[in-house]
Amino acid sequence: MADEQQVIEKPEPHEILAKGYTFGTITDQIAAVVLTKRTPLLWIVGIGTGFALLNLLLLSATLLFAKGVGIWGIRTPVMWGFAITNFVWWIGIGHAGTLISAILLLLNQKWRNSINRFAEAMTLFAVACAGMFPLLHMGRPWLFYWLFPYPNSTTVQPNFRSPLVWDVFAVSTYATVSALFWFVGLIPDLGTLRDRAKNSFAKYAYGMLAMGWRGSARHWSVYETATLLLAGMSTPLVLSVHTVVSFDFTIAIVPGWHSTFFPPYFVAGAIYSGFAMVLALAIPLRASYGLEGIITARHLDNCAKVMLATGMIVAYAYIMEVFMSWYSGSVYEQQAFWNRMTGPYSTQYWFLVTCNIVSPNLLWFKSFRSKPALLFLSSIIVLIGMWLERYMIIVSSLAQDYVPSSWSLFHATRWDWATYWGTIGLFLFLFFLFVRLLPMISIFEVRTLLPQAKVRQEVKR
Amino acid sequence: MTGQALDFNPSTELRTSLRQSRARAGIIGLIGVLALAAGAFTARDQFFRSYLWSYIFVLGITAGSLSWLMLQYLTGGAWGVVIRRPAEAAVRTFPLLALLFIPIALGTSSLYSWTQPTTDATLLVKQARYLNVPFFLVRAAVFFAGWIFLSWFLNRWSAREDREGPVPANSRMAAISGPGLIFWAFSVTFMSIDWVMSLSPHWFSTMFGLLFVIGQGLSGMAFLVTVLVFLSNFRPMSEVLTPRHLHDLGKFLLATVMVWAYFAFSQFLIIWAGNLPEEIPWYVERLRGGWQYVALLLVFGHFALPFALLLSRDLKRNFKLLASIAVFILCMRVVDIYWMVTPDSSKGSLSVSWLDLAGPLGLGGIWLAYFLIQLEKRPLMPLNEMELAEALEHGRE
Amino acid sequence: MKPDVYGVMAEFDNPTDLVNATRAVCEQGYKKLDTYTPFPIEELNDILHLHKNKLSLIVLVGGLLGGLSGFLLQYFVTVIYFPINVAGRPLDSWPAYIIITFELTILLGCISAVFGMLALCGLPMPYHPVFNVPRFSAASHDRFFLCIEAADPLFDMEKTSGLLETLEAKEVSEVAH
Repeated sequence: MADEQQVIEKPEPHEILAKGYTFGTITDQIAAVVLTKRTPLLWIVGIGTGFALLNLLLLSATLLFAKGVGIWGIRTPVMWGFAITNFVWWIGIGHAGTLISAILLLLNQKWRNSINRFAEAMTLFAVACAGMFPLLHMGRPWLFYWLFPYPNSTTVQPNFRSPLVWDVFAVSTYATVSALFWFVGLIPDLGTLRDRAKNSFAKYAYGMLAMGWRGSARHWSVYETATLLLAGMSTPLVLSVHTVVSFDFTIAIVPGWHSTFFPPYFVAGAIYSGFAMVLALAIPLRASYGLEGIITARHLDNCAKVMLATGMIVAYAYIMEVFMSWYSGSVYEQQAFWNRMTGPYSTQYWFLVTCNIVSPNLLWFKSFRSKPALLFLSSIIVLIGMWLERYMIIVSSLAQDYVPSSWSLFHATRWDWATYWGTIGLFLFLFFLFVRLLPMISIFEVRTLLPQAKVRQEVKR
Repeated sequence: MTGQALDFNPSTELRTSLRQSRARAGIIGLIGVLALAAGAFTARDQFFRSYLWSYIFVLGITAGSLSWLMLQYLTGGAWGVVIRRPAEAAVRTFPLLALLFIPIALGTSSLYSWTQPTTDATLLVKQARYLNVPFFLVRAAVFFAGWIFLSWFLNRWSAREDREGPVPANSRMAAISGPGLIFWAFSVTFMSIDWVMSLSPHWFSTMFGLLFVIGQGLSGMAFLVTVLVFLSNFRPMSEVLTPRHLHDLGKFLLATVMVWAYFAFSQFLIIWAGNLPEEIPWYVERLRGGWQYVALLLVFGHFALPFALLLSRDLKRNFKLLASIAVFILCMRVVDIYWMVTPDSSKGSLSVSWLDLAGPLGLGGIWLAYFLIQLEKRPLMPLNEMELAEALEHGRE
Repeated sequence: MKPDVYGVMAEFDNPTDLVNATRAVCEQGYKKLDTYTPFPIEELNDILHLHKNKLSLIVLVGGLLGGLSGFLLQYFVTVIYFPINVAGRPLDSWPAYIIITFELTILLGCISAVFGMLALCGLPMPYHPVFNVPRFSAASHDRFFLCIEAADPLFDMEKTSGLLETLEAKEVSEVAH
């Protein structure tokens, strides 16, 4: 409502917030996206695409339940195929949200305040998409509760030595904690929406969700302790989740999988693809909602730098992995990497090397980082590259393991692709729904960035 | 308080104290080195073994300081401004370390089984492409060349900034620090493979290099915290350092302790669960004959205790307590490196040789004395750093 | 006897005025007061002595409980309830159990942080007297409020309102029950 009247100067490249905002105008601008502003074309296109693809997911899942996992290309020996590739890819994307909301909070990085909310939402929806795949891959998803230990008449229990069982605990903990953290962050802003909403249903709904938040000093002090504690616990949690995902591979002794540095390598790769997704979402959103004053060039630059740093760690991993198989003198390890580089999957291998460790080197240049369109492109390339990386690790190692007589290649079917694109639809649909219904930028945290939020020292006694 | 009002050169009391500490470290170092020299003639193999791990510990502090020095140019922040001069002094000791490497270069035949004639097909045919003495020495030369190159330029530009003002120099340091950190990570990885992992040539682990990367980071930060707390007793640093600065550095200590534990546990769990004949012997050797108690000590001393203590905010802001923890962590770094390097040659049971005491004392003492000489040479804060005023205000608002 | 009003509320348009007013009111000896702001203000924690709270303790207990139950669950299942040899690993494969122990520590720690926070704040509380002040909706927008409660022994409608008016308040209003 008030955004037409604002006089907001264009932010300087190094600023994390444009000059000229007041508590009121910044609140109005962010709340207006939900409450009053007209819907931009991007939103309609985004949720429309999401909805269409979501129906594709429903279709392929229905077919899967009716006919079984045979509609996918998974055949012995490659039984993990697309499902696990997509699982690892999605869960990795989620990691950036927790990193921004938790680790950057602990490091006192103020710039995170403008992007943490939608990054956390991204986490939540990415984990939801990730969670689809192990369930669908089970073949009999209605028996999913067998994964949990519970007293039952056959006395059979999960094998706690198996990383797949660790995954159940890690991913469900991660989903729960991300949802809690996200909701806790929303409470004060829900209070704002309750007080700003004109529509009485919206007022009631936001009011119920805000639970009577009134911004009392006593509440704020407990609230801030809670946020810090949640951040402190989420930080090791987020590292542990992709670590456990990497254990799914390393604990098995398949050549190309059993490598001790997979945990940090997977975590770095996860953050890498996650920041790529943050950029891929932030760049169109800020343009179509006119939020350049809040999500500034500085934010894009910082995200790009994190992408560069994690990209370099991934590059280190690729190089050391190949070196170590050469150094070890182990024929199986050497054959595994030789197959990747020259075998049936060599096209994908060299393509992923180009995407993941050659292309991010452009981010060394400030002039490249300062162009949103190029950054958007670069983040899409990284997202593709990281998907291929997981595909390569899973498929090439399974297709060609210890015994050459059992070698067999993987061919994706149209239903593999349909399920994959279907979860992209689920993600887009949920994300644009979120953009429309909840403030995508944390209003109260952005208020603290304003210069007038600082209490002046002149004490009157 | 403003930057201009302060003289950042070491005060007279500090100089006196530095001189005393230097003399003490020098004497201890000299005694240690004499003992080492005696050992070189009486117990040759043991001498090289003790020398190697002591050397890797001291090098870890130096290269770790180099990594923090480069990292702070990339990230900025008040913590970086206060550690810059001690870190610069530490990395100026690289030439000394290159000199001290000579005994290891001379001792390869005693230290590394792959230098011996063998009938082992894998070792002979495959690994010999990498593990051979000339290539080993060339790689060591590359490591030192890179480290000395980085430390020389970072020091030179920093000194020039003091004289001529800030403008282009700082961005040049940031520009060298990005590639510099990449070089550091790779050089430390290959160093750990060459000097430590190849002690048991059939064993390999991709995590091993990262354990040294983070271990060096931890050694470096623990050492820098100790030095800063020592300096905080005297002018000018007594006027500069606030609990807030130490709090920031304490957080880094906590983070590196956690990452170390994460790396160490991941490697252990993966090898334990895989249980492959070419991998598991490394841990079997380190978890029997008394070594299991050393491992247990590492779990508590290198992770659990410092982790639990560093969680406390009050403790991170207490100069004396934080320094005690930092010193304790340095001691645990010694134990950790000892536990990684020596069990393979200890014939199945833990026995500490007198050379294992002379090694760290001798090399550590000499190195510390040389470091203290370097520390005295320059003002203790970068005079023309753009963020200087901000760093001085940090924790005083 | 129940007082017929909840308290008096003063409105400020910037955090500095609020902090100064709160400090002044505290120095007058008022104890039962609270501030309502659109974002957390560090200085108010100093003035109202809000630095310590029980949340860390709650989280510690929750986390320990989670970790303990996580480990015992696995130990009980694999050693006592359903002992079975898997790939020659010992029944008590403690290195493998650390993962789930850790995850449950975090899970219960985080759940206790969130519900502990809500409990300590007394939320959800859909009705509160301060919402009766018409301008109070600005407390989640751009205004800063200080409320002195009638339950305070020093409270006196006239005097307290008078005091607040001298403190650069934009508006002083009565808070009905």
